Amino acid sequence: MFSYIVRRVMLAVVTVLIASALIFAALLALPGDIARQILGRDATPQAVADLTARLHLDQPAWQRYFDWLAGALHGDFGTSLVSGLPVTEVVFTYLRNSGLIAGIVIVFGIALSLVLGVIAGLKRGTPADTVISLGGLLGMSIPEYTIATLLVMAFSIAIPIFPAVVTAGPDATVAQLLPAVWLPVITLTTVMAAYIIRMTRSSVIDVMASEFVTTAQLKGLPTSRIVFKHVLPSAMLPVLNVIAINIAWLVGGVVVVEAVFNYPGLGTLMIESVSRRDIPMLQLIGVIGAVTYAVCNLAADLAGIAFNPRLRTLSNRKAHR
Amino acid sequence: MTSPDSLPDRQSPSDGPSPLHAAVSRRGVLLGGLGITASTLLLAACGTAPGSAGSGAAAKGGVLRIARPIASTGESLDPASSLCAYEYLGALYSRLVKQDKTGAVVADLATVWQSSNGAKTWTLTLRDGVTFHNGKAFTSADAKYTLQHILDKAVGSPQAGVLGTFLSASGISTPDARTLVLNLSKPNAEFISLLTHYNCYVIPDGSASTIGSTGIGTGPFSLVSFTPAGRGSVKANPSYFGGAPVLDSIEFTGIADVQARINALLGQQVDLIAQTNLDTASAMTVNASANHTTVAVKNAQMYVLPMLFTAAPFTDVNVRRAFKQAFNPQDVLSLAVNGQGTVANSNPILPTNPYWLDYSLPYDQEQAKSLLSKAGYGSLDQVLYTSTADPTLSPLALAYQSAVAGAGINIKVETAAADSYYTNVWMKKPFMSSYWYTGRPIDQQLNEVFRSGSSYNESLWANSQFDGLLDAARAETDDARRKTLYQDAQKLLVDDGSTIIPFFSDRIMGMSKSVVNYSEFSFEFDYVNIGFKG
Repeated sequence: MFSYIVRRVMLAVVTVLIASALIFAALLALPGDIARQILGRDATPQAVADLTARLHLDQPAWQRYFDWLAGALHGDFGTSLVSGLPVTEVVFTYLRNSGLIAGIVIVFGIALSLVLGVIAGLKRGTPADTVISLGGLLGMSIPEYTIATLLVMAFSIAIPIFPAVVTAGPDATVAQLLPAVWLPVITLTTVMAAYIIRMTRSSVIDVMASEFVTTAQLKGLPTSRIVFKHVLPSAMLPVLNVIAINIAWLVGGVVVVEAVFNYPGLGTLMIESVSRRDIPMLQLIGVIGAVTYAVCNLAADLAGIAFNPRLRTLSNRKAHR
Repeated sequence: MTSPDSLPDRQSPSDGPSPLHAAVSRRGVLLGGLGITASTLLLAACGTAPGSAGSGAAAKGGVLRIARPIASTGESLDPASSLCAYEYLGALYSRLVKQDKTGAVVADLATVWQSSNGAKTWTLTLRDGVTFHNGKAFTSADAKYTLQHILDKAVGSPQAGVLGTFLSASGISTPDARTLVLNLSKPNAEFISLLTHYNCYVIPDGSASTIGSTGIGTGPFSLVSFTPAGRGSVKANPSYFGGAPVLDSIEFTGIADVQARINALLGQQVDLIAQTNLDTASAMTVNASANHTTVAVKNAQMYVLPMLFTAAPFTDVNVRRAFKQAFNPQDVLSLAVNGQGTVANSNPILPTNPYWLDYSLPYDQEQAKSLLSKAGYGSLDQVLYTSTADPTLSPLALAYQSAVAGAGINIKVETAAADSYYTNVWMKKPFMSSYWYTGRPIDQQLNEVFRSGSSYNESLWANSQFDGLLDAARAETDDARRKTLYQDAQKLLVDDGSTIIPFFSDRIMGMSKSVVNYSEFSFEFDYVNIGFKG
């Protein structure tokens, strides 16, 4: 059991390392001269040459990668090529803002999706199931920027309840951001919900049809007890990975939604950094994305063990043999 | 060159009865998704042309909220910087001289200027009794320091090369507190016009290391707060030498995404969106809103198709001429920007400029064909590069493609990645599209974009006769003779030049209907008189 967890953690670390190298390679492949991209079209050739030398862009790529890796292992991810500030500081501010949206979506959005999925599964074939399934599919099929635009048209312009965009900058306080997070939260929940609802629904249907549920029903157990005690733990297993992937997606890649709402999150920072070729910034954002994916998947695996009696007792059974 | 701000969507509002063709654009489709609401909006938009800015009595006071594009997360209030936060500059600072609507140089901090010694020495008399926002008196030392700061290589100012051609730090002297003397290394009778550039706002002596965040100037507003890429505000400077501004304060909000900026306007979170050129669908939506309107800034942008002078087939003047004569400029203007602009006839000088020469090559496809055959081509296949870096570039390329088809010129339009267009395609591919903000003084315009070897000479055109005319104009102190020289240069550019300039186009600005006395042209924005309806 313990060695299984250690193996999983090691694997996650290796995944992040490989990802960081791949990100570095991808950044190298971006077209355009980095120095010119940073300085803008107005830059003089002399300024471009100076910056190229100052940023060590004249050194070979592998050397720059290992320099970066050595710094990163000591917690130094470098400074922004554009503003000169330490990237960890900048990224943390934007990450906090994205975290605010992600946190609310995870707590409310995922809970709502699970409840809807379970209802749809239990009431299979009823009008409730049809409405939930169709609604979910619709949300999944419309691109997020369309949903975002429609929400703005409806709730910021026609009926002005929520602000259309965030006018505060990246260092806005939570209180300043809070009125503006709801439209992004609804957008993201709508897009994300369908996957979780569908997975939960089919999983619940599968488990409800299994022999142990039939046995429990024949024993005369009350339905609520069957659902909460027996069905849900088993039905959750396949859903966990879908939730994990969705959480990682939330933290790493809500790029389009953040741009539409001018929300000062990681996605907005990423767009700006790509257009300015701010390599250290992008590298750290990429690593945070990779770490998030690794951690979420690890958590899903561990939660899977917690839910699954067969995996939980794996080591004990081995001992008996 | 453009400011580094990402220029927004470009097209113009339809004034005809059939704006629904706009629904093919993505935004149009999005609006379509709104069903009844959207069709109401679109129908309501029928027949709405860009209005004129509200004018009349403004109520004293008020807070104007402006959404602005973001130059970069590294943007700064240092006017000389290539990453300067453009919209703040005019509110915070003053220049020595500025431009009026015709492009003529008028007083700002300098009240009188004259050249002597064959336009090699410039003497400027500075305004008396002006103080910086921190209470310090403005003197010639500040003016000298500002110019030295721009010329300082470490600053990397885009204007350094322009001024540095004539002026070095040692050539600036201050005989007394009200007089600034500039000793040029070579004559330039138009030198004063170069000081109207937005990199030339005056900063206090010795402020280089702090000006990026303090924003201390002599302008109509003083800085309250500034966050790069974020929010900031300025408050009225009651002792501004040009008279106290109407507004109490201005709040700036940086919004990178164009659609988000428009949404902020429609959602009434801001009153005006700066430097944002509305496309057709957005302009219609803004006009359809009961609280908003659009205003056209006449001829604000110049669209160009540079033909690389060093690459075949454009090494041959017959081909260059054929490419200029093969299209009807009015058709291209109508097709690319709904006619919202002015035909340029490959002359980069605005018709409102006093030096403008009324001269053009006629639209004649038969002549274009014979010019091509003279160059040895029966017909010619040519790739034209464009990108989404500016939304008008692709419509322009497509309009040009269809306009020249009848002359045996087969254009293939190739769309390149927007974020690296200016590093990988611009000035590298033989035929491409590009654009400039208008409003540069004629000397800077012609020397920077068309002179042999200039770093912004995007067509790489090299013509020693043209360079000679520019030099002669600079050395010519007689105004009438200088005008003739600039007009000869324009004629040469139209006849032999390597840049097709189909049109100047208007910039369509969106703002609240309650805003009055909005006035903007070239790089001038009137922050003093703008206000809210009384």
